[in-house]
Amino acid sequence: MVDVGMTYPNGKVALADVNVAIPKGDFVFLVGPSGAGKSTFIRLLIREQLPTHGEVRVAGRDLLRMRRSQVPGLRRRIGIVFQDFRLLPNKTVAENVAFALEVTGAAGAAIKRRVPQLLSLVGLHDHAHHLPTQLSGGEQQRTAIARALVHDPAILIADEPTGNLDPVTSWEIIQLLIHINQLGTTVLMATHNQEIVNAMRRRVLALEGGHLVRDEAAAAYEREY
Amino acid sequence: MRFIRFIGFSVVRAWQGFWRNAMMSLAATATVILMLVLLSALFIVISGLNSGLEFIESKVAVTARLEDNLSQSRLERLIGEVEAMPGVASVDYVSPAEAMDRLRESYREVGRELDLGDPDSTITIFASLEISLTDPDASGDVSTALAARDEVERVLTKQAEYDTLLGVINAIRTVGLAIIGLVGLTVLFMIINTIRIAVYSRAGEIEIMRLVGASDSFIRWPFILEGILCGLIGAIVTILIVAAVWDPIQPAMVQIFQMPTAVSTQFLTTLSLLLFVVGLGIGALGSWISVRSYLAAAR
Repeated sequence: MVDVGMTYPNGKVALADVNVAIPKGDFVFLVGPSGAGKSTFIRLLIREQLPTHGEVRVAGRDLLRMRRSQVPGLRRRIGIVFQDFRLLPNKTVAENVAFALEVTGAAGAAIKRRVPQLLSLVGLHDHAHHLPTQLSGGEQQRTAIARALVHDPAILIADEPTGNLDPVTSWEIIQLLIHINQLGTTVLMATHNQEIVNAMRRRVLALEGGHLVRDEAAAAYEREY
Repeated sequence: MRFIRFIGFSVVRAWQGFWRNAMMSLAATATVILMLVLLSALFIVISGLNSGLEFIESKVAVTARLEDNLSQSRLERLIGEVEAMPGVASVDYVSPAEAMDRLRESYREVGRELDLGDPDSTITIFASLEISLTDPDASGDVSTALAARDEVERVLTKQAEYDTLLGVINAIRTVGLAIIGLVGLTVLFMIINTIRIAVYSRAGEIEIMRLVGASDSFIRWPFILEGILCGLIGAIVTILIVAAVWDPIQPAMVQIFQMPTAVSTQFLTTLSLLLFVVGLGIGALGSWISVRSYLAAAR
């Protein structure tokens, strides 16, 4: 992102002069109080919104110059998971993951091959035929992660992935994200979870009032100096 | 391959969507049927009347009753001159004897015998010229010209009948189309609403589809097909209804409206085609409007 600013039509400044580059394969925490601009930051990355000024490039693509028809291609390069999982309640774990392939026109054979691979990766192969309501929060988030990875994305964005989970489960999810990162996927995780950020010692981007107030490697949740 | 999967995916989703909100979908389909039944009725009546009109047109357009005892040469000259008039297709001479035969024939058709009382009575039947026209509009000029001739006793035209029937057809067509237009508008709103509800009930899925990079066509077409499905089912049901009542209608078309039998056997095919086009068209239009207005905002 270069000089990115985002002002909503009502005059609220969501982001101002944000400059940040995240190299391929990085693991980055995005922290800051509610309303600091984290959600806007993520929406700009997946081109759900366009900045009022500045430049956003993701996986080598200029999002401002991108045509509408190219957006689905971009979204396949980015996996995203949310605090509330967003699974389809009437589909099983395997069907939820398969759905992301079906709606992008994948072949039946490819779906049959890919879904079990992903469920093994997130440790859910035994739960393939369970409905989301039959799963714990952690298992639901694993399903969402498996779904986010169906197109083998370059980047995985996790928006408060542990927000609804207990500490032990949260750690399991973090371990999974680290594993995915080690396999080569860039991970950006927005979080309020101080304990995790402090323990991990990874790069931290801190937003406050729409400004990027801190960009530190191997950092903690709060400013330490 | 990908395109076939896309079609398969869309059709399956449209079918699921139709039954997911079955009450609404069936209500929309019912309005489609109502509209198409009205359309069929109008089409049948208008086609019948048009056949009647063509029948009248094809019959002798102008009849000139001739004075008695014209000499052969005067008659031949008259025929020659009438044939040369603009707009005249052909001229037939009907002798008094032929006219009498026709009169008998027409009585026989309605099951009666022509009774002239005394068989030796000398009833005068006029000879006449039956003139058919290439252009029905020429009827006025031709009759005026004929009326001015000494050889002609009286001129009879079918213009009045023709005009009356044309007026009736136009009135029925206008009123019918207006009613169908209003019903069509209702149908359109029903389909727009049905599809809007379908879109809302799938809001969660649509959001996920966007996030995982489904293209717009994968998101939209299932809904458009769902609307088309309402139109398609409506058209099929209507065709079945019309086919069921067609057996008693067809002879009526042939007898009352003088529709050629060949046309009447083709008629059901033509009507079915019309119903399919209108049904699918209104389904597609309604769902397209709905998808445009309720899916357009989100990227």
